[in-house]
Amino acid sequence: MEMQKSKKIVILGHFGVGKTSLIRRFVNDSFSDNYKVTIGVHITKKVVEINANETISLIIWDLEGTDEVQMIRNSYLLGTHGVMFVFDASRPSTFQNINEDLKIVATKAQGIPLMVVGNKIDLIILNELQTQLKTNSIETNYLTSAKTGDSVNEMFTQLASLLNDQA
Amino acid sequence: MTKLEQYKEQYVNQNIQFIVIDFDGVIVDSDQTFMKLNKGDYIYDVHPFFTSFSVMLESLDETITYNCVHLDHLQKEFITDVKMIKKDNGILMVIYDLTDHYISYQSIAQARNESIINSELVILKNIELEERERFKNAFIQNFSHELRNPLTSIISITSVIEGTDLNGEQQRMVNFLKESNLNLRLLLDDIMSISMISSGRLELRNKVFNLYQLLELVQFTYKTKAAQKSLRFALDYDEKIPEFVEGDRLRLFQIITNLLDNALKFSKEGTVALSVQLNQKRANKVSLRFKISDEGVGIPSERIDAIFESFSQLNTEDKHEGSGLGLSIVKGLLELMDSSIKVESELGKGATFYFDLGLKFQMDLASSPIVKKTALSTSTSKMRTDRKYKLLLVEDDERIQTVLFKSLMDTNFFFIDLVNDGAQVLEEVINNSYEIILMDVDLPNVQGDHITKLIRDFPFKNIKNIPIIGITASAFEENINDYLNKGMNAVVTKPFDLQELVETVLKFLKK
Repeated sequence: MEMQKSKKIVILGHFGVGKTSLIRRFVNDSFSDNYKVTIGVHITKKVVEINANETISLIIWDLEGTDEVQMIRNSYLLGTHGVMFVFDASRPSTFQNINEDLKIVATKAQGIPLMVVGNKIDLIILNELQTQLKTNSIETNYLTSAKTGDSVNEMFTQLASLLNDQA
Repeated sequence: MTKLEQYKEQYVNQNIQFIVIDFDGVIVDSDQTFMKLNKGDYIYDVHPFFTSFSVMLESLDETITYNCVHLDHLQKEFITDVKMIKKDNGILMVIYDLTDHYISYQSIAQARNESIINSELVILKNIELEERERFKNAFIQNFSHELRNPLTSIISITSVIEGTDLNGEQQRMVNFLKESNLNLRLLLDDIMSISMISSGRLELRNKVFNLYQLLELVQFTYKTKAAQKSLRFALDYDEKIPEFVEGDRLRLFQIITNLLDNALKFSKEGTVALSVQLNQKRANKVSLRFKISDEGVGIPSERIDAIFESFSQLNTEDKHEGSGLGLSIVKGLLELMDSSIKVESELGKGATFYFDLGLKFQMDLASSPIVKKTALSTSTSKMRTDRKYKLLLVEDDERIQTVLFKSLMDTNFFFIDLVNDGAQVLEEVINNSYEIILMDVDLPNVQGDHITKLIRDFPFKNIKNIPIIGITASAFEENINDYLNKGMNAVVTKPFDLQELVETVLKFLKK
């Protein structure tokens, strides 16, 4: 038996931004308001259908949140095909220095596709966030809500598709 | 096996598993310490983490360590450190089960992160509340400012109408109108007070004042007010309290009267009482307890906190008159005075509001004779004059202009010139020898306060010393002080009482 075509993605970001919740929404289609801190790394697999004849196995590494991106263990990033950097749209401290954080991530995971995701948009006024992001020159790929499921599947599927095309 | 080797086997080796896989990921061997694996199975089918073995194929490193990896196996979760070591025929994986250690770390991280997030959310919430409060205050300030001009017209016109020949019915209507005007004016003043307190713009003006006189004034006012509602008013104060204390007399008066008005409002029978007792007296400081009690409807315990919020009225079905701001103002003012309002109440039996106030007192003043002021200002009717004064009236609002002109003319004391544009004032002043200027501050082209400054800087005494009375819809103390600093002799705020305004003007005329 051959190993199914699989791609490793790591989910990064400050603690409490909803990384685990995004994965839980994507993998199990569930959500809990209880916050349980992730320590180390949880790894989950989900087979994603790219088209009628093609699937890809996403190996999702849910990393412990940290406000010091520099502190992320390098071993976690070994062999990664894609990175998702998540921030909490309702807490500016998780995205005010995001451009610096992204630069560090880019040096740790060179040449790897990076997706920037603002989560918890159910808690904020979208226009206000967009103004705030624009003022601080922050570009995002997706604005999601793990609670409502808003844009979660689309985001993972798009990344899977992107990684599939790269193979 | 020695004892030590036995212990090692028992306490260490039970937590370490060795697995050997080939370069295709097939399990070649496993010591089965805590994960039961089948030889010949693919390691990546055991747990998705093990797909990482492929990294070893491309890596130049001989060893890679992954810390704190969660591995689920046969419905059990292990938190492990995993070491992958490249060997000739495959990869050796050493898995350390550190579940207990990491679980204790998890609970520490949980507490830490929750505390950081919660304090951050509290800060954000506060910023949001402050922002809302700021917006609310700005709105209230603009709103009350805009109301002052039309209200001035209404009050002034009412005053003019009152001076005409009215029949009984018309007089009754005018009285209603006057009462409504007064209520509206008091409401605006309350709104202004609460907005100034909330925005931190209200500053206390502590001066030495006669506390006995203040209490007597309260007694005089509230005996009458209580009697109008068939209630009794009782004042009781400790004779040991000092006569002269240092504090903000106006604001203390406002606190006491707001509480008494509230007591009267919610009482249908019985006594409304004010008592002032001495808590303690040390050096030149005194602590006094002010207590205001009534025998009215009382307050349900669950509503006690809510009554101090702005615009709250306890009995919403049977709405009482007033803005509902009185208690909120009391709370805010007492906080400014480093005190707090407390309340005890029994439903149907009444309520007691009380607060303690620390005040400085002056012992050497205690025996000074009290000079009672007889009248606040000269009454127009008593004013005698054998000549007329030249007055310049500067006002752009046509309605207020008309009313002021008529009222001032009716006194027979003035020759009046009218100007409605700030830019024309200086020229008029230079070319005419005015004895007094009555000037709106908010003028087109040049503001009244600016004109005042120009006049005060003028080199000729006859011009620079002309008394200037300002009129403004901006009732904030800081604005009024600014106008006074620029040289206005007095500032009258809109809506004004015509009688008071005329009296203020007369006060500054050279006899």
